[in-house]
Amino acid sequence: MDIVKIENLNLIYQSVKSETKALEDINLDVQPYEFVSIVGPSGCGKTTILSLIAGLIKPTSGSIKVQGETPNPKRDICGYMFQRDNLLPWRNIEKNLYFGLEIKHKKTKENKDYACELAAKYGLGEFLKKHPHELSGGMRQRVSLIRTLALKPELLLLDEPFSALDYQTRLNLCDDIFHIIKSENKTAILVTHDIQEAISMSDRIIVLSARPGKVKAVHKLDFKPSLTPFERRNTDKAKQLFDTIWQEIQNEKANI
Amino acid sequence: MKKQIYSAAHKKFIQKYRVNKAIVLTTQILILVAFILCWELLTKYEVISSFFFSSPTKIAKTIKELYNSGELFYHSAITLSETLIGFAIATGIGFLVAFVLCYNNFLRRVSEPYIVVLNSLPKIALGPIIIIWFGAGQKAIIFMCILIVVIVTTLNILNSFISCDKQLIAVAKSLGANKLQTFFKLVLPSSVKDIVATLKINVGLSWIGSIMGEYMTSKAGLGYLLKYGGQVMNLNLVMTSTVLLCIMASLMYLLVALFEKLMNKIYK
Repeated sequence: MDIVKIENLNLIYQSVKSETKALEDINLDVQPYEFVSIVGPSGCGKTTILSLIAGLIKPTSGSIKVQGETPNPKRDICGYMFQRDNLLPWRNIEKNLYFGLEIKHKKTKENKDYACELAAKYGLGEFLKKHPHELSGGMRQRVSLIRTLALKPELLLLDEPFSALDYQTRLNLCDDIFHIIKSENKTAILVTHDIQEAISMSDRIIVLSARPGKVKAVHKLDFKPSLTPFERRNTDKAKQLFDTIWQEIQNEKANI
Repeated sequence: MKKQIYSAAHKKFIQKYRVNKAIVLTTQILILVAFILCWELLTKYEVISSFFFSSPTKIAKTIKELYNSGELFYHSAITLSETLIGFAIATGIGFLVAFVLCYNNFLRRVSEPYIVVLNSLPKIALGPIIIIWFGAGQKAIIFMCILIVVIVTTLNILNSFISCDKQLIAVAKSLGANKLQTFFKLVLPSSVKDIVATLKINVGLSWIGSIMGEYMTSKAGLGYLLKYGGQVMNLNLVMTSTVLLCIMASLMYLLVALFEKLMNKIYK
């Protein structure tokens, strides 16, 4: 079964001065364990799609189903990861990891242990008692992912999670997070403006047009599963695909 | 935590830091001592009139007299209790109102012009009304104090609540948090610093409130002594009351500053 199914979805934002058509006739489905990226010119409604899937906003028309039901943030299917790590500065790392568990009233010993195990497994074990400001940007973003994973979501919504980081950290964290998502068997939807990043991680890339966002092209990727995102970047296939998607987005910009 | 071993340069740095701190403190004390000394000498040799300016020894004498007659604690306690009660009630109400307005957009929008008007109104203008409503007594004084403190408190705390990081709130929403959870887990902890800053302002304001109230109507208290001393041209009494007020207000401020330090340790 599809984990996400979006059919004929339209979204119009209302404000006092005007209304903005953000998304037009979007059709999209995501299979379990798939890694899908959404790229497109800025302002095309990429993040809006994630907010819809998370149930934070409702579509104007059309339907959206997550595991067959209307999305609702109170359910535990989606884990949302933002551009900024959004850790609470007054809590240490361990307590930050428990934040989601507290909100969902799931702060049991078992779940706490699970969160700490994840942290230890992905190299954060010795930092549990530190405060966010004592960690590097890349580490904080990893804490943020583990905070999300602590709730055992099946679907991860990644909203440009690397864009606030410097280039080197970004490449390393890309590998790390890809590894974590694959080894924890999660489905993921990544929103990014970085085409290379999308190519290096995804099974499928969806290119959106300029506002109102429509699905302009879909690219299926078939890299060897053993390749890391960093290794993928250096293949000829990646370079060709980059050119294709670049052209598609460029054309969109020309249309504005 | 492991004890770290620092270089000689660090030792030197720390030494310099300590010396600097000591110099500042010494200068502060010297200024105070010089001020008191000048005051004493100038009035002793009548360069300036000791009748109009009083003098440190006269103030000390007056304090002793007040102490012997039991009036020192009597008047101080009355003003202090008015101030503390006003401070506590006003801070409490301000906090509650801010909480309600923060979570009810309708109420916030409706009440906005009223709060603005109340904020700009000079509260002392309400003096006659307050006396008629509450009678000429401590109730009226405390009410005046509350009135002066409560609106600033509400505005400051509400602003702090509203300016909570929108991104953090988005995280809470994506987790399905309800309003109360968002408030207690995000909004309140991130406002701690502003709330403590408001408390500091309130210390000053609540003293203004209680003294203003005592000017308006009182039979006891430091504000009463000030007014009485002024009327009978007893400058010793006026200066003594001012000194006592200075000491008590500073002590109260110090307590809040200690509380701030504690909070800063918890909410880095």
